Amino acid sequence: MEKYLYIALFAPFVSSLFSALFAQQKKMQFVGIVAPILIGISLMSSLLLLSHVHESGEAVRANLMDWIVVGDMNITFGFAVDQVTAVMMVVVTTVSTVVHIYSNYYMDHDISFNRFFSYLSAFVFSMMILVMSDNFLGLFIGWEGVGVCSWLLIGFWYHKKDESKDVNPSVSPSWAANEAFIVNRIADLGMLVGIFLIYWNLGTLTYTEVFAQLGTLDHTLLVWIGITLFIGAMGKSAQFPLHTWLTDAMEGPTPVSALIHAATMVTAGVYLVIRANPLYSQIPEVSYGIALLGTFVAIFAASMALVNRDLKRIVAYSTLSQLGYMFAAAGLGAYWIALFHLAAHAFFKALLFLGAGNVMHAMHDELDIFKMGGLKKKMFWSFLMMGLASLALAGIYPLAGFFSKDAILEAAFNEHTYGIWFVLWLTAGLTAFYSFRQVFIVFLGDERYHEIGAHPHEAKPYALWAMSVLAVLAVIFGWFREDFMEFITKFLPAYEMSEHTHHMVWILTIVTTAIAVTGILVAFFKYSKKLNRSEKTENSFAYKLLYNQYYIPHFYEKAITKPYAELSEIAWQELDMKVVDATVDGIAKTIESSGDVSRRAQDGNLSSYLKWMTAGFVLITIIAVISVVIK
Amino acid sequence: MSNILTVLIFFPLIAAIFGFMVNQKSIRVYGITVAAAEFLLSLWLWASFDSTNPGMQFVEQLSLIPQFGISYYLGVDGISLFIVIMSTLMTLIGIIALSVKDDIKNMIITLLFLEVAMIGVFVSLDVILFYVFWEFSLVPMLYVIGAWGGNLRLYASIKFFIYTFAGSLVMLIGMLYMAFIYHSTTGVWSFSLTDWYSLILPFDVQKYLFLAFFLGFAIKVPMFPFHTWLPYAHGQAPTVGSVILAAVLLKMGTYGFVRFSLPLFPDASVAYILPVGIIAVIMIIYTAMIAYAQKDIKQVIAYSSISHMGVIVLGTFAMNTEGIAGSVFLMLSHGIVSGALFLLVGVIYDRKHTKIMSEFGGLAKSMPNFAVVFGVMTMAAVGLPLTIGFIGEYLSLAGFFKVSPTLTVLGGTSIILGAAYMLKALKNTFFGPITNPENENLPDLDAKELTALIPLVAIVIWLGIYPKPVLGPIDTTTKALVQMMHNKAQTKEAKATILVSKPKKEAK
Repeated sequence: MEKYLYIALFAPFVSSLFSALFAQQKKMQFVGIVAPILIGISLMSSLLLLSHVHESGEAVRANLMDWIVVGDMNITFGFAVDQVTAVMMVVVTTVSTVVHIYSNYYMDHDISFNRFFSYLSAFVFSMMILVMSDNFLGLFIGWEGVGVCSWLLIGFWYHKKDESKDVNPSVSPSWAANEAFIVNRIADLGMLVGIFLIYWNLGTLTYTEVFAQLGTLDHTLLVWIGITLFIGAMGKSAQFPLHTWLTDAMEGPTPVSALIHAATMVTAGVYLVIRANPLYSQIPEVSYGIALLGTFVAIFAASMALVNRDLKRIVAYSTLSQLGYMFAAAGLGAYWIALFHLAAHAFFKALLFLGAGNVMHAMHDELDIFKMGGLKKKMFWSFLMMGLASLALAGIYPLAGFFSKDAILEAAFNEHTYGIWFVLWLTAGLTAFYSFRQVFIVFLGDERYHEIGAHPHEAKPYALWAMSVLAVLAVIFGWFREDFMEFITKFLPAYEMSEHTHHMVWILTIVTTAIAVTGILVAFFKYSKKLNRSEKTENSFAYKLLYNQYYIPHFYEKAITKPYAELSEIAWQELDMKVVDATVDGIAKTIESSGDVSRRAQDGNLSSYLKWMTAGFVLITIIAVISVVIK
Repeated sequence: MSNILTVLIFFPLIAAIFGFMVNQKSIRVYGITVAAAEFLLSLWLWASFDSTNPGMQFVEQLSLIPQFGISYYLGVDGISLFIVIMSTLMTLIGIIALSVKDDIKNMIITLLFLEVAMIGVFVSLDVILFYVFWEFSLVPMLYVIGAWGGNLRLYASIKFFIYTFAGSLVMLIGMLYMAFIYHSTTGVWSFSLTDWYSLILPFDVQKYLFLAFFLGFAIKVPMFPFHTWLPYAHGQAPTVGSVILAAVLLKMGTYGFVRFSLPLFPDASVAYILPVGIIAVIMIIYTAMIAYAQKDIKQVIAYSSISHMGVIVLGTFAMNTEGIAGSVFLMLSHGIVSGALFLLVGVIYDRKHTKIMSEFGGLAKSMPNFAVVFGVMTMAAVGLPLTIGFIGEYLSLAGFFKVSPTLTVLGGTSIILGAAYMLKALKNTFFGPITNPENENLPDLDAKELTALIPLVAIVIWLGIYPKPVLGPIDTTTKALVQMMHNKAQTKEAKATILVSKPKKEAK
């Protein structure tokens, strides 16, 4: 089985290197064929590993070689495929394979076609390291690796120029890429501190050894480790207040948004919390904080999605919101449910993004949904699949989202955290509304696209076929909830609902479905015929607040970015040049000028020498007399 | 070859003298051949080095002035071995990439003299010998900056010389005092470092000596607030000068901490952890900010050097194997990466004769290979795992965390601020549309530049993934160093802080 572990891990790496060989050449079709095949091989190996882990119940372990061996630190490239990892691997490689195939369509005319595949496969490789490593530093390799690939891919169209924030809220691809990288670095520092704490207190970074020894640490320390690791998770999973980069990351090509910024990388934070469940279950106060933050982000992001007009940003907000759900579940101790929602979300959200990609292609990269409308006629299959994905996202029976989101709401109810339950319940309604607001505005109503001279067309059949895999999973994945639970709870703690919750399940389900259906209906009546816009609403304070993301990006700009640049300028010009360096030069000048002054003593004039001599003689005599007197 | 170290020192010296007789046309080939031979010799040194032996190897001792115990005393251990190899490598790369037009002959001869001084510093075990090489290294560098530099070259070179020289003189006084104490305790004169190691000094004496040595090293590193000579030196120096300066000469300072301050004055070193740590953190954050404000891409790299040296200092004063070994590794990785970055800046300067970033933009389009190499080095500079830059930075910070979590978190902002200025520089230079039509047809890296850069890229990735061949010997020697410091420590605080590693576990 070790063999398959390495195949799953390195096939994407080979794919990346292979594509990189042609990175600077014009499009080569075979790159677009070889890369998906290699990722597909990785998927097959992952499936084999999954079934092996399923049958044997044992983790597959492998140790490639030593990495950092210093002092008492002994870090190897060690990998372990247990139940959680196997699920993550299958999810990652499934979505990756689909996205790789789809990219052939989406990047068809791009001159950097080959380079794109190289980056995309490199991302998959990093993500595999992230989920397969058996220690925290290995996870950190993947963690930083996906960060760099994300940076490369967000800034893929690096040649675009910077715009003002009013024209393009993300400024430019390279700006958004840098923002994503730097914000993530802030979180990574937190994570590094967590790693240091673990190392110095337990002397190891391997998961199994760390989790086995947790009991020896005192509670305060556990809390610190839990918080610092979670700070790392907050960056990757774009939790408030480190969330702004995710929407700006939509500057990247849409397949990237589907793979990295919806299905896989952004869920790394959730994965970390699930992975560290032995730690988090010992610090309920931190876990509860995680749940609260997740709940807040769920509704916070959903609220911004309500008014946005940007096709991709709406989906990005919904990703943010769903990540909030996952953290809420993980924070409440329902780790397997968080993982279940993670997987379900990966499928339907990637599908939604790819559908958005079809729409963008049809609309010549127009993103303003108000300029679309009536696309159903031209793009029926895209409509169908985006509709399905939105139904799944809204949590309508019998699609995947119904099962996973319902389970989270039940868990919130079961924990008697009714506040969390209520907010998540409300968010479910908002989710249904904004998802279908988007679907109806884009696909139904009057055909506003004529005004911008677009000639929409359906995507190529193979792209639709690739998407259909995700569509099927978005529909049926939820049906396997019981099997999934049985499989995963061999590794993760089982989460039992109380008797009381059991009795309430039907009512909860009905209440949740009701609010979701209401959301869809409101969207239907408001937007399915034609685009109802009211000047009054759009000029209201609340609308503007939401539209401008609560002015948080503005605030960051004013309170952090600008002052930092100004302070840097002051540090350089005023402090370093005028104080530190001037002092050095000042000392040098003082020495020079004192030399200049004393030089006059040696002017070659005999009579002045005599004067100095006399003065010196007198001085020495006086000193001698005084010292004698004192003695 | 038992006197390989003598060969390593004298081969470039003799070659440099013979260089005067080589004619202008063949001097480049001559220079490359000599530097390559020297590099191969240093590799041979590595090959015959015993990695399991933590002590000094290839030791040579020849009494010079027996009355004062001054001798010609050489040796390498796991700490100096790789700095020596890096010195020969960077000299070779610098000569290969050499792009100065005027007086190339004198330039190559100067570089060979500089190589003599660098190797001498890192293999000397006699303090006077060390000091001679230490000061001698200033002369060729003074000449490189003063003769081939930019408009302010005289100011910059004199500033460089006098500033570092002033620090060294204070260090010299410390050295003489140390010898005096050695004489008054043991009754014999000795300037042998290994003799000095065996001496246990009273805490008060340690404090003064520590400060005297510290000043010499701190100016060299350069530590805040003694750093202002460096931006001028880099700003004026020709590319090769900056490469050697950043890669090797700065390391003399941090090497001095490891070779002198820690083992000679363990109690004082521990006592001064806090002030030194604070200075290091200030220099990390402050110079990172200044780097962010720069308009000139070479100044970005220059200030980033200072910032990274701050992390090295943190690691050195971690007082445990993880931190010290990490800081030694970071010296190497910073040498490779900053050297490469200065080479890259030189590439663009040769084409455009400017280093101001606003003149560029969109270069990724016209010079894709250049952009890729620059990107790799940027990632190494910001400490991406699986590049050489991560390991040293991670270990240094991890090590210092044991001593002071708060300062480590503050110093750790290096990974954020470093990303900020490097990515900003990258964006301004390589991304966005090409605004200046002159930049549209800039030629990409040529064969000469690729020859110089590709080995560095290979090292960056190789040692990032598999650092063991280098980290192993460093680890072995550092463990012994820490053990010695622990044994020598007198104050309770020092005993507790200097953390001896457990004996190696059986391989699993």
